[in-house]
Amino acid sequence: MMWKNYSYDYLKKNKASSYSIIIGAFIAALFLSFLGSLFYNFWLDNIEGTKQEEGGWHGRITGELGTEELVKISNFANVDKAVVEEESSKENQTVVDIYFKNKRTVYQDMCRIAEALGLSEDVCSYNYQLLSLYFIRIPGDDKPRMLMPAYLAVVALVCVSLILVIHNSFAVSQNSRIHQFGIFTSIGATPGQICTCLLQEAFVLGLLPILLGTFLGVFLSFGTVWAMTAFAANLAGGRQMRFMLHPVIVAAILLLSVFTVLISAWLPARKLSRLTPLEAIRGMGGLELKKKRRFPILSALFGMEGELAGNALRAQGKALRTTSLSLTLAFLGFMLMQCFFALSGISTDHTYFERYQDVWDIMVSVKDTRIEDFRKTEQLKGLKGAQSCVVYQKAQALCCLPREAQSKELYSLGGLEAFAGELSSDEEGNLLVGTTIVILDDKGFEEFCGQIGIPPQLTGSIIWNRFWDSVHSNFRYPVYIPFVEEGMDTVTLQDAGIKARQETGERRSGSMAEIPVIALSQGCPLLREEYEDYLLVQFIPLSLWKEISGQINGVEKKLYIRILADQREMLDDLTMLEEEIVQTLSPEYEIEMENRIQKKLDNDKMIRGFELVLGAFCVLFAVIGVAHVFSNTLGFLYQRKREFARYMSVGVTPKGVRKIFCIEALLMVGRPLLTALLGTIVAVAFMIKASYIKPIEFVRAAPAVPVFVFLLTAFAFVALAYYLGGRRLMKISIADVLKDDSLM
Amino acid sequence: MEILRCEGVRKVYGTGLNQVAALDKIDLSVEKGEFVAIVGASGSGKSTLLHILGSVDKPSEGKALVEGVDISTLNQTEAAIFRRRKVGIVYQFYNLIPTLTIRKNILMPLLLDKKKPNPEYFEQVVKVLGIADKLEFLPNQLSGGQQQRAAIARALIYRPALLLADEPTGNLDQKNSREIIDMLKLSNRSLNQTILLITHDEKVALKADRIVTIEDGKILRDEKRG
Repeated sequence: MMWKNYSYDYLKKNKASSYSIIIGAFIAALFLSFLGSLFYNFWLDNIEGTKQEEGGWHGRITGELGTEELVKISNFANVDKAVVEEESSKENQTVVDIYFKNKRTVYQDMCRIAEALGLSEDVCSYNYQLLSLYFIRIPGDDKPRMLMPAYLAVVALVCVSLILVIHNSFAVSQNSRIHQFGIFTSIGATPGQICTCLLQEAFVLGLLPILLGTFLGVFLSFGTVWAMTAFAANLAGGRQMRFMLHPVIVAAILLLSVFTVLISAWLPARKLSRLTPLEAIRGMGGLELKKKRRFPILSALFGMEGELAGNALRAQGKALRTTSLSLTLAFLGFMLMQCFFALSGISTDHTYFERYQDVWDIMVSVKDTRIEDFRKTEQLKGLKGAQSCVVYQKAQALCCLPREAQSKELYSLGGLEAFAGELSSDEEGNLLVGTTIVILDDKGFEEFCGQIGIPPQLTGSIIWNRFWDSVHSNFRYPVYIPFVEEGMDTVTLQDAGIKARQETGERRSGSMAEIPVIALSQGCPLLREEYEDYLLVQFIPLSLWKEISGQINGVEKKLYIRILADQREMLDDLTMLEEEIVQTLSPEYEIEMENRIQKKLDNDKMIRGFELVLGAFCVLFAVIGVAHVFSNTLGFLYQRKREFARYMSVGVTPKGVRKIFCIEALLMVGRPLLTALLGTIVAVAFMIKASYIKPIEFVRAAPAVPVFVFLLTAFAFVALAYYLGGRRLMKISIADVLKDDSLM
Repeated sequence: MEILRCEGVRKVYGTGLNQVAALDKIDLSVEKGEFVAIVGASGSGKSTLLHILGSVDKPSEGKALVEGVDISTLNQTEAAIFRRRKVGIVYQFYNLIPTLTIRKNILMPLLLDKKKPNPEYFEQVVKVLGIADKLEFLPNQLSGGQQQRAAIARALIYRPALLLADEPTGNLDQKNSREIIDMLKLSNRSLNQTILLITHDEKVALKADRIVTIEDGKILRDEKRG
């Protein structure tokens, strides 16, 4: 009844008051549909990924199973197919992968199958990861499967924030008619009728925007999936995603959007419908403060208009709280994200690209090959375009270090054990210090001898005499002291198995080798290697290694080849060199290869992708915030026509009204901005401190431009909302507004 | 001295067949210091006349001159400044600004002009109106009568040429109504304030020096009282 006789006409005659609701419903549907369809595709991608990595089977039975058993399993009603998994099957242990039609009953069916085969339940195993993606938890799966709950939590969070956003628009529109509803209740309209009428209005106003928003959201999500696929195509191991959408998902999104809009309308409608006629008829005063407020700064800066603006915003406190919160979080999120990326970029440059810029162009790792068996060193060194080539392999061992062999500097800091924790010792009381032995090809070793200024010789080890003084410096700007005292002639190496021995404190001696030390060096060969702190690093030539390799195990499985190119600026040059390397080593050796320029490009791409995903969420949040501000401000101004009529009736000029708008817009953006800025400063200061980056470096790389653009956009939207709302307000008839609200 | 003159003021609402003349060729002259009551039935056009004189509305035809200035030709800004300085309007529903204290509400027209109030005059007005002890309250902390006194004080603070009161007692009980009218009368006598009071209450109208009766947008009677 009320819809036909009241709402229809009201909405027709007051189209402007519906704009914020229409925008709100559109935004809700847009985000929900974007997130919903995107997450649906992520979900499908996760399923696909799990199938690729772990297989698409649901249950698995391991045991002595023959063809008869296989037929038995296949004949089970719910079994779609049963396949023997050849790779994991052994002689008397057949592994059968079972695929079910109805995945919900996998656990029960598997138990029944085991029983029918006369086996215990222990022979059954499940693809927990895959089943959890179908929301099926199998008893015994104790791992937290957080992916799907996380997706749902994000959607729920977005729903709640959207409800917070739009309910204000509804509240503003509904409260502006509080007097009219007062009249309705006074003539007998029930709260139920009023509530239903308002919900009908919400449904009618929201229907088209919801459909449009859903369509656009799906389109946006399609674009995102397409962009991600294009991005993944350029990365090694990147999986292709294909955009898919099921009608059920579209229906669910539509329902969720309608639900969000109706809940948003219901919250203020319920409140309004419960007002008594007297409260409703009287409740036309608009803004009110419970106690007086002073705004000395605003008054001093902007005069009377400043005070009016401050008071108005204060009086609207509750309605604007979510606006403020949205903007604060949006600003904070965006600024933090930008600062985080800036800091992380600085850090990566420090730790990786700047540090290793000149030590490598191409790195080849050769699988399962011992350096003494590698036969291509000379050929690689002779490659056209290779300026320098070093073949090396690492081995881990223990080094028997007399306590007095530690450098004085290290000793004065409490000795090695003060840094590395308690160390084992041999029968003679020598410390068993972990050591990384880098075995260089002979030519590479001789070059290293030349690099540190000693005559080339292949008879002993060069110890990297360097120890990080972590007491007086941080990892970012380390200070080094000598590890061992000068004059060390020999070093005794003990067999590997370091960790096990150190952990158990076992003092058993392994096979040992004593080798001469030909130099203690402050430098190291140009290799793209990061060595563990507090380990003694030493470099030995291949010829020497051949002599001792019988005694010392612990050699790593991979062999590395570091190549510096003649032409190192262009990716094409490095790619050509890579091709030559492949031709030299294939098919004899199984290799993996990377080049410096490509790695940098890949890394940049990965960071950009990371930024894109995180940034998209941040922007999503920011757009919700800004949209909230926009819709709220529009409605907020509309509701305030009486307030402005009062101002104007006592002589506030149009210029004065515009001034009030400007001050309000400034405050609306300024306060969240200040809060967010403070939060960001504190967080960035903490991050700078934790990462030991010099503040000036951050200042130089600070993301001023994107942050400024973002803030400007937010401000522009608030200003636009004020402009649109203000333009409508300036057209009001003061006489009519001050007379009565009921004829709106 | 003539302070207000209306010459053939006409106000028409709607168009074509729906056209309604709220005011039809009104001619009116008011001398400085006069207390004029404009009476008439609901819908007779009295409030429309007041809105035109208060420059919140414009006549469709004719002139409305206050202190010789044709207020019907003022643009929005000029009209706002005119309202601020030349007229004080008292509404039935007070229309105080709910977020400002009573003091600030009263001083508002002066503050908008960045003028300092005359403390003695301010004291006198609030004392006479009996709200001297309510100045730091917010409007919603006051009774209807007190709010209307504050509205009168705001209307008087700029010593306007004209005080326009639109059913100022319409929302008050008898005691408060009587007091408000007495205060208007007092300001008329003691400050020589020109007052145009709109009412449909004959008892209230009888307090004025002159009663103008409007019917269907025309002046039916204009009688001076002893």
